[in-house]
Amino acid sequence: MVENYYVQARGFHNIYNDDGTIWGFQFCMRTKYYKGLWLSQFRAGDAIVDGVKYPRETLIWNIQGMDYTREEMYDRMDQYWQVNDIATVKVPCPGGLKQGYHTVEIQFGWVNNYNTPLEAEYDGSGLGLMGPYSNLGGKPGTYKLDSKATERTLLLVW
Amino acid sequence: MSEIKKGQPKRGVSVYSYAGVLNVSMTLDDVFKDMYDMGATCFELLTSHIENYPNPSTQWIDHFFWLCDKYKMQPAELGHWAETHLHRGPRMTDDEILANMVRDFKLANLLGFHSLRTKITCINRHCDPEPGWEKDIERALPYAEKYDVAMLSECHAPTTLKRKHIWDYIEFADKHQTKHFGINVDFGTFVNPKENDYPPEMKERMNRMVSEEDGGYSRPEDIIPILPYSRTCHAKFNYMDENFHECGIPYEQILNIMVEQGWNGNLVSEYEGPRRDEAEYLGDQLRRQHIMMNRILGY
Repeated sequence: MVENYYVQARGFHNIYNDDGTIWGFQFCMRTKYYKGLWLSQFRAGDAIVDGVKYPRETLIWNIQGMDYTREEMYDRMDQYWQVNDIATVKVPCPGGLKQGYHTVEIQFGWVNNYNTPLEAEYDGSGLGLMGPYSNLGGKPGTYKLDSKATERTLLLVW
Repeated sequence: MSEIKKGQPKRGVSVYSYAGVLNVSMTLDDVFKDMYDMGATCFELLTSHIENYPNPSTQWIDHFFWLCDKYKMQPAELGHWAETHLHRGPRMTDDEILANMVRDFKLANLLGFHSLRTKITCINRHCDPEPGWEKDIERALPYAEKYDVAMLSECHAPTTLKRKHIWDYIEFADKHQTKHFGINVDFGTFVNPKENDYPPEMKERMNRMVSEEDGGYSRPEDIIPILPYSRTCHAKFNYMDENFHECGIPYEQILNIMVEQGWNGNLVSEYEGPRRDEAEYLGDQLRRQHIMMNRILGY
């Protein structure tokens, strides 16, 4: 079972190096869409934690046990990300996060063949055509990034 | 002229209705149990509900058939997507598109589905297809025949049954004399956005949609020429009141026409109203709809 949120409470903790120092932290998420996506349809954006932006280029996405960068996902039209499988987002952040409450937001979207003009940005520089940040009332491919659509407050123990 | 034998549409449910609760508060087993309570005898699954799609384990497949057997449920339709733009840059090659489609045909055949809701790439909200669709469907037809599946393109609001591409599809099916390509009529196409009994907030939302677009909708009789091309339809509903009345879709007229026309396909319920992520509310809405269909059909 998964939680009825984008960002999941389960799976939120720091990531430790073998020598005990902290490499960064991780949290889990799902799209909340009604269907799964081929990885090449996914458009990964930035993570924003406690108001600090962690750029999309630096994040590592673990989906079905495999690590991918944003760039690596674009060409994986053979890997299906099933609708309620959660992704683990690994965020490089030496020293990690302190024990306590944190606000976690992850920006993302996707493209598919569904009733929208075809994606203009083939390089994947945007967040696709659909998703929690898509401005569906406006011009296709425009986003409301200030909406904090996926933001959730989570409690970190270690 | 000989009299048309009355049809007996099957009452079923699309697991899509449970998208907001599946694996959140209900398992697939729970969904089957729920559908059985409604008297449903068939169902639609999406490829998105198949664990480890496109390569489900034999364990999952065994469990799937065990569920069908336990709840006496016939697989009706597998919802899948005929993708044409899965990677950056230009459209996929013809062979890539075909390979993806045939993979799903095989899976549908393995799981016992004879209808596919085949989503053809669209270029606007009226679902007008991307130019070149004929070639993809033409190449897929021999495989659809081999694996005994019908590719059905959904006619979904705001698309009406009189839209040009619907008739292009019918012309295509006639030209190829095939039963393996046709239409799935989604009953949302029959909603009159301006005149309905939906609760005010829903009515307002539908009116807003219309003011942006041309506001067309289908009339019940528009379905008559489409029925020979349809094996499965989406029994869409948005709100069932406590008197078992769908407040915006003329179900009685539509179902009576289907019966009179001798249609024996699958009707699978698709709930698209509010509170879809609340299992109790959703279950109540689905049961209300099945009471309505039970009373109209008499079974």
